[in-house]
Amino acid sequence: MSVGLVAVLFVAAGLVAVGAFAAAWRRELTAALAGVPLMFAGAGLAFVGITRFAVAGGPQPLGQEFAVLLAIASAALVALGVGVAGREGTR
Amino acid sequence: MDSLHAIGFYVSSGVSLAGALGVALMRRRDHRGLALAVVGVGLAGLYLTLSAGFAAAVALLCYLGAAWLLAGRGYRAVMSASGPVWRQAGAVGAGGLLVLLAYSAFRGGFVNGAFRGGTFGTESIGRLFFGHDALATEAVALLVVAALAGATAAWRARERQR
Repeated sequence: MSVGLVAVLFVAAGLVAVGAFAAAWRRELTAALAGVPLMFAGAGLAFVGITRFAVAGGPQPLGQEFAVLLAIASAALVALGVGVAGREGTR
Repeated sequence: MDSLHAIGFYVSSGVSLAGALGVALMRRRDHRGLALAVVGVGLAGLYLTLSAGFAAAVALLCYLGAAWLLAGRGYRAVMSASGPVWRQAGAVGAGGLLVLLAYSAFRGGFVNGAFRGGTFGTESIGRLFFGHDALATEAVALLVVAALAGATAAWRARERQR
C-alpha cells in the first residue's frame, strides 16, 4: 500500500468540490460560509502534497507555509463572516 | 511512504471527507460545527502523514476555532436572496468541478506542451513554484494578504461612515 501525489490530489479535489457544493447549496449565507474552509483545506492539502512528492530533496517548508496561511485565512474568514452576520442577521 | 503512514493517510482522508459532507448536508448549526471540527482532525492527520507537523498543529487549532465560532452563541442566520435554480446550478457546477479536478489529478500533464523545465504538468509546476520561483510565489502570497487586509480596512471605514 502506498500513497502518491495523485492520491493526495484526489482527496484535495474532493474537499474543494464538497466545499463548493456546501457554499452553493446552503440557503443560509452563514452556513454557506462553512464551505469556504473546506475549499481552503483542499488547496492547502494540494500545496503540501506537491511539496512532499514533487519537489526534489524531500519535504520543503514553503508548502507548509502556504497551508498554514490558508488555515489561518479560513479561520479569519469564518470569524469575519460570523461577525458581519451577527450585526445583520437573526438568531 | 511506509504502510503505516499510508493507512493513516487513507483513514484521515475518509475522516476529513466524511466531515466535509457533514458540513455540507447537516441541518443544525451545532452539528455543522462538530463536522467542521472533524474536518480539522482529519486534515491534521493528513498533514502529519505528509510530514507537515507544524501545518497540522496550526490547521487543527484554526479549524477547531472556526467550528467553535459556527456552533457558538454569536451565530446569526442570514438568508440568501438567490433562488433554488441558482442553488441547483451551483450544486451541478460543484459536481463538474469535482470531475475536472479529478481528471487533472489523474492526468497530471493536463495540456500537451513543453517548456525549458521539461514536460508541462502538476509536478513540474510544483517544482517551479516551490523550488525555482519560491521568492515570486512568496511575493504573490504577500500581495494577496495585503489585498485582503486592504479590503477589510476599506469595509470597516465604510461601516464607520454609515
